[in-house]
Amino acid sequence: MFKKSWVNLLLLFLPLVGGIVAFVLITIFLLSLPPFMLTADFGFVGFVFGLTIRNLGAIALMLGLFVTGVLLILYNRSLRRQERMQMLLEKAELEAEQGRRRFLRRLDHEIKNPLTGLRAALVNMEEAQASTDRQRAVENASHAVERLTRLLTDLRKLSDLGERPIELWQVDVPDLLQDVVDAAHVLPAYKGREVSLLIPKVPSPFPTITGDRDLLVLAVYNLVENALKFTCDTDSVEIRLGEDGRAILIEVADSGVGIPAEDVSKIFEELYRGSNARSTDGSGLGLALVYRIIASHNGHIYVRSSQEEPRGTVFTVRLPVSQKKVTLLPSS
Amino acid sequence: MIPNRSTLLLADDDPTIADSLAPFLERAGFHVLVVSDGVSALEKAQAHHPELIILDVLMPRMDGRETLRRLRKAKIWTPTILLTQVGEASERALALEEGADDYLNKPFDPHELLARIRAVLRRARPGERSLSAAWLLTANDLALDRRARRATLSGKTVELTPKALAVLEYLMTHPDEAVTRERLLEAVWGWEYPAGTRTVDTRMAELRRALDDDPADPHFIETIPGEGYRFIAPVHGEG
Repeated sequence: MFKKSWVNLLLLFLPLVGGIVAFVLITIFLLSLPPFMLTADFGFVGFVFGLTIRNLGAIALMLGLFVTGVLLILYNRSLRRQERMQMLLEKAELEAEQGRRRFLRRLDHEIKNPLTGLRAALVNMEEAQASTDRQRAVENASHAVERLTRLLTDLRKLSDLGERPIELWQVDVPDLLQDVVDAAHVLPAYKGREVSLLIPKVPSPFPTITGDRDLLVLAVYNLVENALKFTCDTDSVEIRLGEDGRAILIEVADSGVGIPAEDVSKIFEELYRGSNARSTDGSGLGLALVYRIIASHNGHIYVRSSQEEPRGTVFTVRLPVSQKKVTLLPSS
Repeated sequence: MIPNRSTLLLADDDPTIADSLAPFLERAGFHVLVVSDGVSALEKAQAHHPELIILDVLMPRMDGRETLRRLRKAKIWTPTILLTQVGEASERALALEEGADDYLNKPFDPHELLARIRAVLRRARPGERSLSAAWLLTANDLALDRRARRATLSGKTVELTPKALAVLEYLMTHPDEAVTRERLLEAVWGWEYPAGTRTVDTRMAELRRALDDDPADPHFIETIPGEGYRFIAPVHGEG
């Protein structure tokens, strides 16, 4: 509305200028005429009428003053709002820039480690004499390549999530969780471990949610994989399902080492690695992916963790139950 | 040049990739021509008539997509593998116009490229337009209109989720080829992850139910135990 300052000024003072012009014109032209003094009655009417006309000029002036004042107040408010918006924008830009730099710093770190391993492995391949040493170098190189590939794949998933629309179908959550547990069986960390899946019998059938089943499987799978990664054979991992009428709750709980308090607020950041996660395998994007997927389903994810007894971590995912009927995605 | 060796044209501007892939493919029994930009690829393709072209997408002078479009415009139907990913619907439409025979996303295992080259060469019909460039695919009474994203069985519309439709499309453009679950994940979902193979099975069950295809006695999709799936009905392309 207020783009150019000279236009703004003109618009602001236009009513006042109009009021002054009207006042001057009325004073000069109308009050200089004595047309209503023919008879006493007419004279009186003319006198009142003349006064009214004179007052009209004054009213025009007052109105002009009033409207100009109102416009000035509105203009001032608009300026302040613009300033506030500008400040917020600058703050958001600064935060985005800081986030971008932080991301690049972390990415640099995530890439340089496997790359250093790869370079060392290549040197070993070139220089090693014994076939066992060469074989080991090949294995190390493959491992480094796997890490880099996984990082790239997860980065692509993150970028895809921001770009592609999610498919919306009615999803049977108990069935989805069973799929996750079955899929987790192949993880090396699963060997000899017990993952409990606790699904309530009531209400039956369990409320469905509307969402992209494939993405939700990926989200819960990442949480289970994470739980397995930070626990040992004697620990327990539980996947619990619940509902409160409006939302369904999926909890992935473990009795592992727990997350240090200073890391808890940052674990959903892209490429963030907590102090006890630096030596573990992974792209550093798993929980960021989970967060994005849940957010894209209008859901929420919370974490509570303790390193003191009773130690452990609980991730709680809250997803709204289906409001309207949509086709049920056929299950296997 | 050794006779009876298929000639491949590899266009990639990254010398570390071209220098590593060319000897690998030579060892696999192909004669490999290497170029580093789209314009050279176009010239070499017209001069040497390779049996298959592998095109990177981001290249100097002319990118891979444009090179492929120009080849197809000149009615050169040499089977082509484009080194990129096809994800969303808009990209699928674009891919359809380009008429690439297959896609492979970087980074890839060279063995995967080799498998893809062999599969494309096996189903290639020299001089003919490939199924991947056809708008309408038919197999017995099943028809897939790729532009309208609609499948019909005996003239009746088959209700399918977009993913199941994309799976059907991939299988129909790769008939008589053993397609692994991992490959389907990569081609349709765009990424691979451990829980994904079950995801493929879920969509396959949906597809079979919709097509009324009995897994024990399939007319369209056959399960290859421990490997994946194969589209067994003969496919024809139009448009």
